[in-house]
Order: sequence, then structure tokens, then C-alpha cells
Amino acid sequence: MSDLDRAIAQLRACRPIPEAEVRELCHKARELLIEEGNVVTVNAPVTICGDIHGQFHDLMELFRVGGDVPDTNYLFMGDFVDRGFYSLETFLLLLCLKVRYPDRMTLIRGNHESRQITTVYGFYDECLRKYGSANVWRYCCDVFDYLALGAIVLGASNTLPSTSGQTESSANSDEVEIEVHNSDGQIISRFLRQKDVDRGRINSTPTNGNSTPVTNGATSSPSPTRTAAKNNNRTPTLTGPPGSGASSSSAGSVGNPSGAVLCVHGGLSPLIENVDKIRLLDRKQEVPHEGAMCDLLWSDPDEIDGWGLSPRGAGFLFGADIVQVFNRRNNLGLIARAHQLVMEGFKEMFDASIVTVWSAPNYCYRCGNVAALLELTEDESGMGVLARSNGEVNRSDGGMGTGGVGGGGGRPGGGGAGQRGGGLLDDDLPPRRPGPARRYRVFQAAPQDSRGMPAKKPVADYFL
Amino acid sequence: MDRPPPINPFSSTIPPSTITLATRTHTQPPFQITSRKLPILKAGPIEAMSSRLGIPLPEMIFGDNLVSVTHPSSGWSISFGAEGALDTVDKTGEGGMLRVAYAREWSSSREKTSAGISEVVRPFDWSYSAAYKGDEVKAGDGRGLEERQGGEGEGIPVELLKRRDPILFADEVVLYESELDDNGISVMSVKVRVMEQRMLLLCRLFMRLDGVVVRVRDTRVYVDFTKEMVVREYAAREDKFDNVKRNLYMSGMMPDAITIALRDSNQVANLLPVVGHSLESVCLAGKS
Repeated sequence: MSDLDRAIAQLRACRPIPEAEVRELCHKARELLIEEGNVVTVNAPVTICGDIHGQFHDLMELFRVGGDVPDTNYLFMGDFVDRGFYSLETFLLLLCLKVRYPDRMTLIRGNHESRQITTVYGFYDECLRKYGSANVWRYCCDVFDYLALGAIVLGASNTLPSTSGQTESSANSDEVEIEVHNSDGQIISRFLRQKDVDRGRINSTPTNGNSTPVTNGATSSPSPTRTAAKNNNRTPTLTGPPGSGASSSSAGSVGNPSGAVLCVHGGLSPLIENVDKIRLLDRKQEVPHEGAMCDLLWSDPDEIDGWGLSPRGAGFLFGADIVQVFNRRNNLGLIARAHQLVMEGFKEMFDASIVTVWSAPNYCYRCGNVAALLELTEDESGMGVLARSNGEVNRSDGGMGTGGVGGGGGRPGGGGAGQRGGGLLDDDLPPRRPGPARRYRVFQAAPQDSRGMPAKKPVADYFL
Repeated sequence: MDRPPPINPFSSTIPPSTITLATRTHTQPPFQITSRKLPILKAGPIEAMSSRLGIPLPEMIFGDNLVSVTHPSSGWSISFGAEGALDTVDKTGEGGMLRVAYAREWSSSREKTSAGISEVVRPFDWSYSAAYKGDEVKAGDGRGLEERQGGEGEGIPVELLKRRDPILFADEVVLYESELDDNGISVMSVKVRVMEQRMLLLCRLFMRLDGVVVRVRDTRVYVDFTKEMVVREYAAREDKFDNVKRNLYMSGMMPDAITIALRDSNQVANLLPVVGHSLESVCLAGKS
């Protein structure tokens, strides 16, 4: 144990640990990860983070803003390595923390946690440079193969607790759905949950002085008319207390006030109509170029109807209807994913049914973007609390038989644009679960002087 | 340890003071050279630009960045910015769409499982291979860049540019960059260096689609301050990815060095055959 703590201290100082220790660490990590299911169950409160990409000093800033391990329970959605200069220290530190505090740290796989991608985008070269051989890269890649593919967060509250001293009118505090904080913990903006219509949409009323339109960045909802029409088509209002209309949660936690949250690096797959399908995959391999596992790590949401093919000739795009059907079928309140750079650090889409979280500020040391982390707080009714499970226990035994709820005709991949109306499906699906309350902490890159390297000054270049 | 002041991440318009601070101007009579470097655009401006152009934008879009060369007395100028560059990208995909290296493998494995999902969303040149020569504003009297045959003395005087004359002003500005969904890179950037008697600007697109193709498209703007002469040369270079790799290997590189060289446009540009070329010039002297 003390060895591990020493390794953590060394890595926190951004100094690599010896090759023999890496080997030992990776061995221990594999033993731990092999016990985890493809979809790990995590209980709120939890702090969800997106891509890090080897930006070690910014990861330190993330821990400063979000709280240190093990005080804060973290879930990282992959892409720990490549592009930044400190992929090695970043991944090894996260792995050390995983081994040291397995119940406070969840790591899921991103598309960069792959042999093929890391040879092109920097991690391989970095290992070679820092150790003189590819051994450490190989140990790490073996760990990549064991990382979980997703996580389900249970027991998240659908309201944010009032933060004393900062709330002007605490009368509204139990209605707050979204809060955005800056890195010093000050509230930049907050949004109330709208009770009746358009539940979960972010265009609710800001309650502080910030009058910036929320649609600018915080969310990019489809055109309001289209959204409204869709809502009318489906469930115009959500009646009764959350959850009362649902048959049972895929999470099996009766009384959980908001739907569960699925965390995955990329997005959905036409081959995956419910979360249980993910559990059946054989994940212990290099990320394949095809199939459901590839889609989960690579696909992107887009403003389209149904499924579409990326113009690149590989990769799926999925629209709002796909997300909404998937969430209802699986009693999800929200999908959290990473994978795409978003300038404001987070971006909610499709009536707040899916959010992209990005945690690498000033990406590639030149984009000047801010980063964010997403905090889900614990439901204090005390009803949604379960012991952490590694995924195979407590799973889906609450009556969510495979294919039973969605109706036989509900294959999301079957219809393409034909999914648009979705009227038939709506009758069979459980009503939409409200999303959990979300606190985003937005932060900037670590100060230059914390990096231990001088600011890069361009030298006179006699280019031709 | 001074921390930057907290910013509002949702403010979409950059305050004028920030624009001013980020802009550098150098006057080398009778020309003026300006460069501006700011962070990538926020969501709002991205959506606006995307709808103006009719295509999705690259992930990293430095829409406020700029390099320009102006000749104030005549009113002539040329400027380089992201929106102008992206406007030259094929927006329909009719020019023939590139496919990532494993597209065949990917789609054949999908035939059984994803029947019905065959529609390509918004075909366009997603490699962002812009053929961008900058945005020119002609002089008040109508003088502007005109095509030349490239005879003696009409091209860019490379030998003069090789001289190590002191550089009075230099900058490097990225206009956009895409990682092509981790299939390579497409980056448009502008470099400029100003010496006492002349200057050179290089706007380069570097596009590498792994396993498929490598492209370099260079626009060079050369200015002779004494003659008040501007020369613009455009050269498009392209080769198959495997050819580039082989040529690097033939030059004696080890495999690890080849991987690194493939990321550096300077190391591959001269290996690529020229597939398109043009030469223009304008003299802005006198006549006022």
C-alpha cells in the first residue's frame, strides 16, 4: 500500500514511475478491472469527466476544482491519452488512483485507449521517449482492453441542494435543474426545472443577473418549433411524481426520483437497443473497426432524424428520436458522453436527453476552450441508495426483460428516417424519465507557470 | 501564482478590447501587415458560420484569427481567415468523396445488421481540403492580382528569401484544424515573416488521411516593398499515403521516424508531386 501511495505522490508531481512499477501496477489494475462488468454501476454523488488527452496539469486543475480523490467520487469517460505531452503520467496516475480507491474511481474506455490509435497520436512515442522501449506502452494497452465500456449512475437527485450563502432566493432552490459554476465555485448561471411542458429543456428561466441566452452554448436544442411539435406528438406533459408511471427501472432501484444516467465515451449503436446488450459484449480486445463496441466508442449525436452514416464512410450519427426512444426504453434520464470538443466544456442536446462533457481546457495547448465536469448529487430521500456493484449484480432484474418493454418492433436500427413519428413506440414505452439535476463546473487551463516549462515563444523561422 | 480572472464561458461576442489586444500590426511602408490570434469560436458563432457556409465546421475553428497585408495608399489588400478558407471547400461532395481507410471493412460488416441505414448525412468534403488563395480587395483604381505565365523574374525570388535578413515581424496563425475523427489531420495555417525590403506569407493546407492520401496546398504571397510589387503563387501537391511512406522509407528513415515525419508538413511537402499551380502578380506603385 505504501508503495502505491508513494507512486501516487511521484505521479502527482508529474514524474514517471519505474518500468517495473508500471508493470506491477498494470497487473493489479487488470485483476481489478476484469471483475467489472462492461457496464459499471455507480451511485451518486459522482463527478463525471470527459476527455483528458494527456493534459496532466489540467487534470490537476480538474482535481482542484472538482475535489480530490477519494473525497470526490469520479467517473472518467475515456480518452486519457494522446495529443497532450503527459499521457503517460496522466494515465498512470488515474490507474494508481483506481487501484488505490477502486470504489471512488471509475474509468471507462475511449477510442484513444487502443493500440492502433495511440501509435498515431502520441502515446506510443511518449512511452518510447520516456522509457527507451515500448514495454510500458504494451502494459498500458493490455489494461485498455479491460476497461469498462460504460457506466450507469443510480440515485442521482433531480434537484440541486441549495448552496448556502450563494442563493438569493432559497424558495426556488428545490426547483433548480442546472447550475453552472466557475472554477472558484461561483454560480455563473442557473436554470429552473419547468414543471409541466418541455421538462428538462434548458430554456428555462435564469435566476441570476446573467442574461446571456442559454441556448448560446449551454445547449443546442433543435429548432423550438420542431421540438414542440415532437413533444406534442408524444408526451405533452409528465404527470405525477417522477417514476410513478414507469414499470420499473432498469436499475432496479424503486423510488429513484430521476432516471438513471448512462455514461459512454461516444454514443449509441444501432446494434444496441438496451443497456443489457452492452453487458453481453466481449470487450476484452483491441477496439474493433466494426460492431457495437466500436459504435459505443466512436458514434456522435447529430441534428438528424434516425440513424445516419458519417460522410467519412465509417461511423454512425444518431438523432434526437433515437436518444429519446433509447432513454425511455431503458428508463434513463440522461446519456452523458464525451468524444467531441465543445467550446463551453459541455453541451446539452435533444431536450437535455444527452450531454457532451469535455474536460481538456485549451485543448492541444492552443484552442483556448474552457473545460467542464458534471456533478450529479445524491438523492437525499434515501431510497435510491444501493451498494456499488461491479455491474453483474443487481442488473436489470427489475422486470426489464430484454426486448420485453420496447416492443418487438422497436429496433432502433430498423427504421432509419422512418423512426421519425415513433407513434407506435410511444404507446409501448415507459414515459420519459426526468433527467437528474446537473451542476457543471467550468474551468480553464492550469496557469502556465504550473507546467514547469516556459511559454513557447515562436522563433524567427526562415520558412520558404 | 496569478490566476486568470474568471470568464463567462457563454459570452459569444468578444469584447473590442480583447480583439485589439490580440491584434498585432506592423507597418513596413508602403505596406501594413496585421495578424490576430484568438481562441476557437464558441457554439453560437460556430452555428452562425456553419449555416452561412452550409457545411459542418472542423472541431477547431479559429474564426477570429486573421492575417492580412494591405497597401493603404491604393486600397489594395489580401487577407486570410477561416471563413474565407472554408468557403472554398467542396460543399456537396460532388467532387468525389474521400473514404477513410477502413470504410470498406466497416460497411461490409454492417450490411446485415444495419440495413436501412445507408443514407450519408450531408455529403461534403469532410477532409476540408480547401483550395484557398486568400481574400483579395482590389485597389481603388481596379488594379488587382492577374495571372502570369511564370517567365523570367515573374515568380517568387527564392534566393533572396534564403538570405538571413533580420526578421522585423513574424507570426504563425492557425485558421482551422480537424482531426478527421482520428483518421489523420487537416490543418490550415498562415505563417508570415517581414524583412526590411520584402516579406513572405505562406498559407498552407496540410491534409493527411491515414492510409489514403496526403495533400499540401500552398499559397505564397511575396511582397517587394521597394517595387510595391505583390506576387501570389499557388501550388497544390498530392500523393497516395503509401507512396509518401515509401518515399520517406527510401530516404533512410526508420519506421518510428516515419510516423513522426508524417505529422510534419515540412517533411513531406517536397515529396509530393505538384498537381496544380498558378502565378499572379500586381504592381501597386505610383499612379495616384
